[in-house]
Amino acid sequence: MEHIIPLFVAISLATAFLISLLGSKFKFFRTAFPVISSAALVILSVLSIFLVNNNGLMVYKMGGWIPPIGICMVLDGLSSFMLLTVNLVAFFIMIYSINYVKKYTDVYKYFGLLFLMLAGMNGVIITGDLFNLFVYLEVAAVSSYALVAFGTGRQELEASFKYMVMGTLASGLILLSIALMYSYTSTLNMADIGKSLANEGSSSVIIFISVMFIVGFGLKAALVPFHWWLPDAHPSAPAPISAMLSGVLIKALGVYAIIRIFYNVIGSNIYTSRILLVLGTLSMIVGVIFAIGQYDFKRLLAYHSISQIGYVILGIGLATPLGILGGLFHLFNHSIFKSLLFLNSGAVEYSTGTRDLKKMGGLNKKMPVTGNTSMIASMSIAGIPPFNGFWSKLLIIIACVEANEYIYGLFAVIGSVLTMASFMKVQKYAFLGKLKEKWKNIEEVPFGMKFSMICLALICVFGGLLLLPEISNLLLKEASNAVLIGKEYVNQVLGSV
Amino acid sequence: MNLILLTIAIPLIAGFLIFILPKKFTNITKFLSTISILISFIINIILFINTEKIVNNYFMFDNLSKFILLFIGLFAVFVIIYSLKYIESVTENINMYFSYILFTVSASYGAALANNLILLSVFWGFLGFTLYMLINTNDNATAESSKAFIIIGATDSLMIIGIGILYYITSSLNISSINISLKQGPIFLPTIAFLTFVAAAFAKAGAMPFHTWIPDMSEKAPIPVTAFLPASLDKLLGIYLLARISISVFELNSSMTFILLLFGSITIIAAVFMALVQHDLRKLLSYHAISQVGYMVLGIGTGNPVGIAGGLFHMLNHSIYKSNLFLISGSVKYRTNTMNMDKLGGLAKYMPITFIGAVIASLSISGVPPFNGFVSKWMVYQGLIDMGKAGSKLWILWLVAAMFGSALTLASFMKVIYSVFLGRSEKKWSFGDVNWTMLLPIIFLSILCVGFGVFAFAVPLKLFIIPALGEIGLFGLWNSQMATLLMLVGIALGFLIYLIGNMKNVRESDIFIGGEEIPSNKRVTGTEFYDSIRDISILDKIYKMAEKKYFDLYEMLKKFTFAITNRLRLIHSGKLVAYILWIFFGMAVLFILLNIRG
Repeated sequence: MEHIIPLFVAISLATAFLISLLGSKFKFFRTAFPVISSAALVILSVLSIFLVNNNGLMVYKMGGWIPPIGICMVLDGLSSFMLLTVNLVAFFIMIYSINYVKKYTDVYKYFGLLFLMLAGMNGVIITGDLFNLFVYLEVAAVSSYALVAFGTGRQELEASFKYMVMGTLASGLILLSIALMYSYTSTLNMADIGKSLANEGSSSVIIFISVMFIVGFGLKAALVPFHWWLPDAHPSAPAPISAMLSGVLIKALGVYAIIRIFYNVIGSNIYTSRILLVLGTLSMIVGVIFAIGQYDFKRLLAYHSISQIGYVILGIGLATPLGILGGLFHLFNHSIFKSLLFLNSGAVEYSTGTRDLKKMGGLNKKMPVTGNTSMIASMSIAGIPPFNGFWSKLLIIIACVEANEYIYGLFAVIGSVLTMASFMKVQKYAFLGKLKEKWKNIEEVPFGMKFSMICLALICVFGGLLLLPEISNLLLKEASNAVLIGKEYVNQVLGSV
Repeated sequence: MNLILLTIAIPLIAGFLIFILPKKFTNITKFLSTISILISFIINIILFINTEKIVNNYFMFDNLSKFILLFIGLFAVFVIIYSLKYIESVTENINMYFSYILFTVSASYGAALANNLILLSVFWGFLGFTLYMLINTNDNATAESSKAFIIIGATDSLMIIGIGILYYITSSLNISSINISLKQGPIFLPTIAFLTFVAAAFAKAGAMPFHTWIPDMSEKAPIPVTAFLPASLDKLLGIYLLARISISVFELNSSMTFILLLFGSITIIAAVFMALVQHDLRKLLSYHAISQVGYMVLGIGTGNPVGIAGGLFHMLNHSIYKSNLFLISGSVKYRTNTMNMDKLGGLAKYMPITFIGAVIASLSISGVPPFNGFVSKWMVYQGLIDMGKAGSKLWILWLVAAMFGSALTLASFMKVIYSVFLGRSEKKWSFGDVNWTMLLPIIFLSILCVGFGVFAFAVPLKLFIIPALGEIGLFGLWNSQMATLLMLVGIALGFLIYLIGNMKNVRESDIFIGGEEIPSNKRVTGTEFYDSIRDISILDKIYKMAEKKYFDLYEMLKKFTFAITNRLRLIHSGKLVAYILWIFFGMAVLFILLNIRG
């Protein structure tokens, strides 16, 4: 059954190709086809979860070549968890996009780029080869540069340019460290690197490589102080793309790669964990402090992405079972509620044409679906029970206490309170209060957009159920176990060929 | 067990049904909420009578929680009945209002019954959300609702750290199985845990320094919401949590007791001083709602059975008379459409039943015998004196604070009764008393005020409070029925003497206020009765600082945060080169750190 593994890349690449080829001629290829294709990816992701649960780690050998000679793809608990997160969010974004992108010309390019980006992310998640990871990462990054600039306004182009410069810097650092790693271990297969590192032991080269990986992937994940591109890039993109970028791209390219490399390949040690803890906490607090002063709806959300990624990294950096479980769960939750919030901001922009919170007011009365779903998402991100964000923050805070890191727990609480204050502000200015005179005639968004928002809101409401033992054994436990086994990953991959 | 789940589930399900019901079916909404709340109240009564004790991993049903449960149900019934008519004057979105009230009831049941700490924090946190939505029933209340929610939410998050610590120390999440002594052994972590729980309880109950959301929200929120949440339900839950942790989860040491007593005393005095100078009836009541929490905290802080029983009893009494007072103010607003006491006056003539209710509730809150407030305050005093006997040195300070606060409360309510119901009104009113659905709760609550005072030992203490605390030796008892009887006889005798003696030669003279003659055509509003305390040299400064919100933790932290934000935003200059320099700077720091360590 390992033959389904390459399908994640193949389907999305083929879709991107077909849309680019036929999308300008046939309406089908820029409306229903992306939805069908990403639905297929969701089904495959669910399937992959059950497969991993039954078979354990699976390896697909490209062209039948045995690693480390050939390139391989690896599917384990962490990959299938990430695949589900990415493709699920992508699916809802496709549905939302059909109505949303009508205002743009060349819609087929939009969907083509979107699927190219999806292909890149899926590739990063399933690859077992370090250089391959870099290639997929670049595929996703380059298409995201283009998508940020999709509006082709002054602001979009400027943001895209900055994003590209800093993204290229990140890619350069990553490529450099991959090259160093290759010269040090003479292999590019991740499992094989792990094996030869275990034989060689630690050295200053590894420290050098580690720092550059942290900076490179930290740039992709927008950790403070490497976050500068995000508050410009994410708000400038079309709303569904912002949702995609904030919801999943920074996690697939940044967080996932950090977890995979530092836990499974290089192997975690106390110093890198400590650095992750500090960077996570810094992002958590600095991000939210930036956010709280914002009045641009999407920019505020973008800053919150920095802050929430901080929570994920904090959980991961604790390196305890509970911390990793909480971090990964927060990763999933964040991709749901943050995409939802960006879709809400898109819906508001769609109906009113503004992103300025001060100009809104009382929109709940005219846009009840957007208003109520955004309320649910705000409560989720603020960590109010029983919504999903509460559960993951709860796990992270308890994990901090359990690991004797009380101060980090306190910071997590402070961050959570500030997040809450900031979203109270959003609700206060945008959706609650008295309806302003000039919004008297606005209407709720079309069905496709409502459908996506409602589905994501339902996941927010019932997301806590993922912690039920039966479901968490299937999904979250598998994922956190894949991290916790650490370098045992090496043996599992090499053993299964 | 099934009944427990049922009583939590019924309001929840009814709330969901109402939530998804189209807006126009207001009658179905009202019917459904009334019926569901009545059914769950009846279940609570059955549970109260029949069930002894259930403790499992999720729920704990014992004498303390079952009496809390009973009264949450009771107040919910009153508030729903009162709201049926009243809420139409506030909002068109009646569905949302009733569904959130029902959610609140369900979550409160859950919070009172939870044994698992996580479950407790879920219900507890959800209550903050429903409060937020309920305050937002009024379109203009967005700032106030955010404030309330943030204060409560922040303390809830702190409580999660406390839960984490408890779990870390005991590896258990069940309230029933945790018992930590703060008197010996390592006390640093348990103390932190205790304080986080105290913060959560204080914020919910509205004790200082987490009280500031109550006066703000009471001005804007619909009055039944204020009567239900900060005045009764949040008191029940906050003090329930405080009692639970101070009695069974933690064993307090003297410094923790000191903290409780100190905050209790400050709350009593500071809030009552603020109440004295208010001109808005709701705001005045809300400051008293804060002040009274002080007595409950004092009672529990004493740590001896009489004090704790007094604190719990005061919580119950307070919920009764304060929700009564808020509902009365709601009726006044419903008729006159103002809450400014300068403009009110002379309502006793038009709303006689409301007036009688107001007098009874005012006397109760002021601690005048034989009403219920007296009994519980008396017990709190007894507890404080008992502390002195046991060797505490500062007991006299706490006792003086409590008694002084009580005197000021009486003074404050003299003003309320005078300026709202007596005195002379600015204009002629032309209405009668309010609708029966709005009168019914007031009548019932007033009867409870009297009944719980006169039959204090025979009914409420015997049925609710003493079983909740287990076997305790009460002292300072007296025969309250006999005392009441004697008081009535005394009043009757006085009246008799009045009739026989002075009936004919009543002397009419000019009107005096504060030693000055007032011309009979000038109206005395009564609101400026105690304004002169602002002139006392230190108090005037404190009042000015309070009005600038210097004592408001929330406002101060808000200012602080925005100051930092505005500074930090300068870093985001938009200059690409600066950004890249920052990135390399970060990288350099990481290199140095890892090279030193690694």
